[in-house]
Amino acid sequence: MPERLDDRDLERTLSDIGTRLDGPKRDMWPAVRARIAERRAQPWWSRLGLDRQRLAPIAATLTVILVATLVLTPSFVDALEHLLNIPGVQIFRIPNTPTPMPTTGAFASFSGQRASSIVEASRLAGFQVREPGALGAPDEIYVELAPVRVTLVYRSRQGLPVTAVPGVSALIVEFKGSLDAPILGKAIGPGTTLEAVPLSNGTASYWLAGQPHQFFYRDSNGQTQPDTLRLAGNTLLWDAGGITYRLEAQVSREEAVRIASSFR
Amino acid sequence: MEGRPAEDAVLVERAQHGDTEAYGELVRRYQALATRTAYVITGLSTDAEDAAQDGFTKAYFALGRFRTGAPFRPWLLRIVANEAKNRRKAAGRRPTVDLSVAEDRPSGDTALSPEEAALASERRTFVLGALGKLREEDRLVIAYRYFMQLSEAEMADALGVARGTVKSRLSRAIARLREITAGEVRADA
Repeated sequence: MPERLDDRDLERTLSDIGTRLDGPKRDMWPAVRARIAERRAQPWWSRLGLDRQRLAPIAATLTVILVATLVLTPSFVDALEHLLNIPGVQIFRIPNTPTPMPTTGAFASFSGQRASSIVEASRLAGFQVREPGALGAPDEIYVELAPVRVTLVYRSRQGLPVTAVPGVSALIVEFKGSLDAPILGKAIGPGTTLEAVPLSNGTASYWLAGQPHQFFYRDSNGQTQPDTLRLAGNTLLWDAGGITYRLEAQVSREEAVRIASSFR
Repeated sequence: MEGRPAEDAVLVERAQHGDTEAYGELVRRYQALATRTAYVITGLSTDAEDAAQDGFTKAYFALGRFRTGAPFRPWLLRIVANEAKNRRKAAGRRPTVDLSVAEDRPSGDTALSPEEAALASERRTFVLGALGKLREEDRLVIAYRYFMQLSEAEMADALGVARGTVKSRLSRAIARLREITAGEVRADA
């Protein structure tokens, strides 16, 4: 290029390129309609957006469990999300329970930015992060931003057995839930029980126990993040003040309710 | 509504209630925008059309989660851009912004003399080449602003960032583009 472009030339040239960029040559709707019909005909799990190729990073054992479960699963699922009414959480009922298996080390690490305190986590997340008085301060706090999710990690705690995540006794996830944007999903089989239990202040919560269930996060576009797929154990879910809470710990229902009731 | 095209919100609501043809109207309305968005990321028009179609398909199944009253256009573009990024990552290559696409179209600048037209064309080639060297997010913010004329609010929604971030991101992207073009002038001189 023989000459130097000033800012005006640059902007004008960019706009000029814009007017020349071509769109598709023909009406896209027939092709899109065909893709919609094709996807509708597929079983429910493919609509979760799980792509076999992208499953590769998951620990092999879990992949086997997942694929085995999916292959055995007839195309039938109850979405319980509306019954549950926990903002940001989708629960699918699946006819097979995934086999419980010791998890490999793959999930011992957490994603997001490490926060040094609840105050810093609250600042990063843009809402007041709370911790359960019954467990005290968490050992680690992680803040993810797209979408915003805060994870409190309690490493081994006396009196608390470890969870499906190695070296971790309790995990708490907090996020601003919205009914039309699922942040996390769960697929539960017949071996997993789901019941409504009130917290000590009357807040409705839901208790998932029994056989482990499949757990995954969705990204900010609502697409499943396959690398977050794992088996999760006993879990309590509730919503307070516009924030959705998820407590995962291998404890009794009463103990989970006691921990959840101690949030401050 | 006589003679006037239906609002996006009306079409979205009809589509949410199972009216597939209403969604078809949205597809026709935004297919050019979606394809250009994907194109800026994939750099190949065949990939871009494919990504746009997949984006429309995913958006259709996500309509249940679409927030009533929110603008449809940036929401759709975000899904399409995501689809295009996945595709490019899977292909494992850098996009080559293919000039032929931009040059095929008849130009509106008939008032230009042959020399001016040749210069303008040369500039486009040059700037497109420089765009191809930018990072994906810089290219996307420039494309939203200059190729698609999105408003700041729409850009923020489409990029999934705060409104205040859009301005700084855009000026940073332009500064980088300027650096690249200036560098090439020096290199050529």
